Amino acid sequence: MIKKVLKRFFQAVGLILVLVSIYLLVNFKHTAAFPRIISAFYSKEFCSCFFVTEGTVDECHNFARQWVPIQSFNLDQEKRAVTVKGMFVTTTARYTGDRYGCVLDPWQ
Amino acid sequence: MKPAACALLVAPLLWACSKKPLIPAQVREALPATFEATAKTNSYPGAEWPELSPEKAGINREKLKNLEQYLFTTTGKETERKGIRTDVFVLVRGGNVVYERYGRDFHKNRKHLAWSVTKSFVNTFVGMAALDNKLKVEEPAAKYFQPLAQPGKDQIQIDHLLRMSSGLYWSEGYEASPLKSSVVAMLYTRGRSDMASFAAAQDVAHPPGTHWYYSSGTSNMLTAMVKNIYGSQFEDLVFNRLFKTIGMRFTTFERDGAGTPVGSSYLYTTGRDLARFGYLYLHDGVWQGKRILPEKWVRYTTTMAPAYYTTQLNEEDYKDNPGAQWYINQGIPERNQKPPWPDAPADTFAALGHWGQSLYVIPSLDIIAVRLADDRDGSFDKNKYLGLLKNILEKTP
Repeated sequence: MIKKVLKRFFQAVGLILVLVSIYLLVNFKHTAAFPRIISAFYSKEFCSCFFVTEGTVDECHNFARQWVPIQSFNLDQEKRAVTVKGMFVTTTARYTGDRYGCVLDPWQ
Repeated sequence: MKPAACALLVAPLLWACSKKPLIPAQVREALPATFEATAKTNSYPGAEWPELSPEKAGINREKLKNLEQYLFTTTGKETERKGIRTDVFVLVRGGNVVYERYGRDFHKNRKHLAWSVTKSFVNTFVGMAALDNKLKVEEPAAKYFQPLAQPGKDQIQIDHLLRMSSGLYWSEGYEASPLKSSVVAMLYTRGRSDMASFAAAQDVAHPPGTHWYYSSGTSNMLTAMVKNIYGSQFEDLVFNRLFKTIGMRFTTFERDGAGTPVGSSYLYTTGRDLARFGYLYLHDGVWQGKRILPEKWVRYTTTMAPAYYTTQLNEEDYKDNPGAQWYINQGIPERNQKPPWPDAPADTFAALGHWGQSLYVIPSLDIIAVRLADDRDGSFDKNKYLGLLKNILEKTP
C-alpha cells in the first residue's frame, strides 16, 4: 500500500518536473535572462539612489533590496560605480554625471 | 477523466480568459463639460516658487492635519518597507507653494525617482515637436522611427503610441511576474542596451488602435522617435527648451545603453520642480506668455484613449484611466465603470508612477499636488488622498 502511494507520489513529482522543464524551455529567452535581473536591478537602483538622489548607503540598500538576497556588493565611490553579484551573475552600474545619472554596463 | 469531459471543462475557461474587444463605442468628445485647462492665475514662478501661508490660500489648517496624518504616519521599521511612505508633498495654489512637507530625509532640493511620471514628460516632447511642425500625431511613427518600418508595424500612429494602443505585445508588471515582464526585461536585461528597439521588436498582437493596455515600451519608442527627429538638438529640447524654461533646476534624466533617455521610468527631480511641470499643463502648455505645447494639446492629452472604450478590462485597469501618457478622472457609464477617483473633481488629471509617485492637476480648484513616495505594499489609496486633499479647502475662498 505504502509502496503504491510512494510510486504515485514520485510519478506526480516527475510529471511536475517535466512540465516545469517544458515551461522553462519554451520560455528559454525569458528563463535565460531571469537570473540577471537581480544584480542589474540592485546595481542600477543603488547607483541612482546613492549618486543621483544622494541617499545614504543604508537608505540605498533598503531601496534596492529584492526578495532574492545578493551574494556580493561593492560601491566604488572614486570610480562612481556599483557592482553587485546575485544569482551568480555580476553586474555594474556607473554614474555618468548630474544630467544623465546612472547606466548599466551593456547587455551581452 | 474522459477527454471529452475535459474539453468541455476547459473550453469555457479559455473563452472566459480571452479578452474580446467590445463593440466600438460611438465617437465622442470624451472630456467632461467642466474641464477647462486654464488656470486662475497668470503669474509664473521665477528661480524660486513664491510662498504663501495656507490660510491666505483658502486652506483650513485643521483639515490639513488630517491630510498630513494620512500621508506621514509610518508603520513598522524602515527596513520592513511597509505602509504609506511619503517622501515629498508639495501643494501649489494660485501660483504659490502654499504647503510642503518632507519625510524620510528628503528636502526641497533633493531629487526623487519619478518612475512612470516620466511618461508624462514624453507627452511634452512629442507636443513640442508638433508645435515645431516636425510631426503630426496621426502620422505613422515609422516615418521618424526606423524600427517600426515593417509591414504591420508601419500602421502604428504616433497617436497610438501616446495612448498605449499600438497593438504591439507587452507585459507590464514589476514584481508580480518578473519572468515574463516586458518592462523588467527592457529596463534591466535584454532591452537595456536599446530600450526603444526592444519595444519595437515585439510581435504585433492586435491591429493598432484597437486595444489599450499599459505599455512602458510605447514611452521609450516615442522618446527615441523625438530624439531621431531632433538629432544633436535633442538635448537642447529637453534640458533647455523644457527644463530650463520652466525652471526645473534639479533634474536628472537617465539614459539606456543607446544614449536615449528612459522616457518610461527614469526622471529624477524634486517636488518643487515637478510642480512646475504641473503648472505648465495647468496653463494649457503656456509658460510666461510663450507657448510650449500646441493649442488644444492639453485637451488632447486629457481625452480618453479611444481604444480604452473598446477593450475588455480587468478591475485593475479601471483605476487609472488613460489619456495620452497622462491619466484622467472619467468613467464609462455604458459599462458601469465609475471614475477612478470619485472623491476628486471631474477635471482632475494626473501623471502617475510606480510606488506612489503622483502629480495631480486640478484646474477647478487651482491646485497642483505633488507626492513622491516609496510605497511598496499598495496600501496607499489615491481616492482617499484626493478626498482629503479636496477637503482642506474652505468652501468660500
